[in-house]
Amino acid sequence: MILRPTFAVLEREVLKLLRQRGRLLSSMVRPLLWLLVIGAGLGAVKAAHGEPAYQTFLVPGVLGMTLLFGGMLAALSTVNDRESGVMRMLVIAPIAHYWIVLAKALAATCAALLQAALLLVILALTGYLSAQVSVPLLVAGLIGTALASASLGMLVAAFSPTLDNYATLMNLVIFPVFFLSGSLYPVQQLPYMLRLVASLNPYTYGVDLLKHAAVAGATATHDPDFALTLDFAVLIGFSVVALGIAAARFSRDNANEPLIHRLANSPRA
Amino acid sequence: MSELAIRADRLTKRYGETLAVDGVDLAIPQGQFFGLLGPNGAGKTSTIHMLSTLIRPTSGEAAVMGHSVRTEPLAVRRNIGVVFQEAALDRTLSVAENLRFAGALNDLPRREVLRRSAELLRLFGLSERRDHVAGALSGGMRRALDIARGVIHQPRLLFLDEPTIGLDVPNRRAIWRHIARLRNELGITVLLTTHYLEEAVDCDEVAFLNQGRIVRRGNPRALIEQLGAYIVEVETPRPKDLAEQLTPRLGPALVEGDRLQFCCNREPAELAALQAELAVTAQAVHWRRPNLNDVFLWVNQQDASQKRAA
Repeated sequence: MILRPTFAVLEREVLKLLRQRGRLLSSMVRPLLWLLVIGAGLGAVKAAHGEPAYQTFLVPGVLGMTLLFGGMLAALSTVNDRESGVMRMLVIAPIAHYWIVLAKALAATCAALLQAALLLVILALTGYLSAQVSVPLLVAGLIGTALASASLGMLVAAFSPTLDNYATLMNLVIFPVFFLSGSLYPVQQLPYMLRLVASLNPYTYGVDLLKHAAVAGATATHDPDFALTLDFAVLIGFSVVALGIAAARFSRDNANEPLIHRLANSPRA
Repeated sequence: MSELAIRADRLTKRYGETLAVDGVDLAIPQGQFFGLLGPNGAGKTSTIHMLSTLIRPTSGEAAVMGHSVRTEPLAVRRNIGVVFQEAALDRTLSVAENLRFAGALNDLPRREVLRRSAELLRLFGLSERRDHVAGALSGGMRRALDIARGVIHQPRLLFLDEPTIGLDVPNRRAIWRHIARLRNELGITVLLTTHYLEEAVDCDEVAFLNQGRIVRRGNPRALIEQLGAYIVEVETPRPKDLAEQLTPRLGPALVEGDRLQFCCNREPAELAALQAELAVTAQAVHWRRPNLNDVFLWVNQQDASQKRAA
């Protein structure tokens, strides 16, 4: 059966996250910096122009940020697993190799959700979560965004033979995805080119779903940019396609040959 | 006839221009302790990776425990354990957690994993380290844990790719003791590769691999016996002249720099006489019992001379 191996991969991911205090702490500090520092700063500028509270607008954005960073970093750890021994354990197990991709994506989704849940508690305690939050939509938005982020991470991981530079990854993949979305500003108010790119970014629809859940109806600028059905369709569709490509890439005949070949010719041998 | 643990027919692997494995045939009965020997780059690891379904053969076919490596990879992997040259462990997890993870990947119930972990840790002397992080273990203990990881699901066939590489002598001996215990207590079939040829002398059968082909196979002790009673080594500044002079008496010589080797069945008394006779022309004359390294060297020598003759 496939359940026990899948659960083992999930368990390992969560265990690792809980042990890496620094990773967990930074996944809380990053969104709170945006919300409490940048949000307050820009909020003050906007308030001077008579615009509504920017910090409230940022709540779905920072929730999305936690999911995006958490999901992508966990998924991208697959590349490091290849370098460490873990991938050897996985490829020799009696499970189909495409399933490794799906199990890792599920594990990354769980890791992201765990971090977002922690942030939600902090937001609720500090009063940043309004009372009119729609719980079913919030749950759907969190899961959908986490899954899409994890899938994006798996897609990048499937095409990265090595991951030697954390900064490159942050600057070339994660930050662009974050900035080119509706996390920090309403997509409809963006200049045409940016609006176009943001509309092509699947993560945009995750944040939009979170806006439906958390801030819809507060003021006009806080309103979501897209319809609920479109958000769902894009998140699910993107995840399915990305994971399909990643799984196909990973389970093709020679997916592990670079690894295997390197092992066979390792200088230690 | 009982089912073979491994059967390979003309198994071949090509990487671009390089022919890593060149038409290897194998028939390994269940319960056998089989050694695949040869220098680095001979194709040992590629052969193991094809048999364990991690890479696909370029051509040829192989069956492991009766399952085709091409069409039934999951069935093959269910029946085998593999210990790679580099550890398949999560260095950040503890000893016990690594075994639990490996057990769960093989779909073992938690209770069963705990029982077998305790047993294996005791067998390998790791019981007191069960809560230590794998990355903090010494090289020898990490290799022992990796072997435990490879057999947690009680495979019927275990592949060991250079199990003692990079270890010091005491640890190498410990690893061999562990492997012997696994064979005795679990009756497991073992296919091992090593380039420390002398370590393979306890195998039931060995095959020498060179440049992707099997150049000799047989029982290691019988192969050594066939070679001759003694290896005579002569150190001399004029190896070529001396080789010509001695070949009629001792057979063909193997020349390595300023050292000559002969394998022969002479009595020690005759060799002592030879030693006295050569005292002037040679710097040193030794004789000793042959080992598997000699078998390999002489097989290659014969190959080379056959090629020259052809």
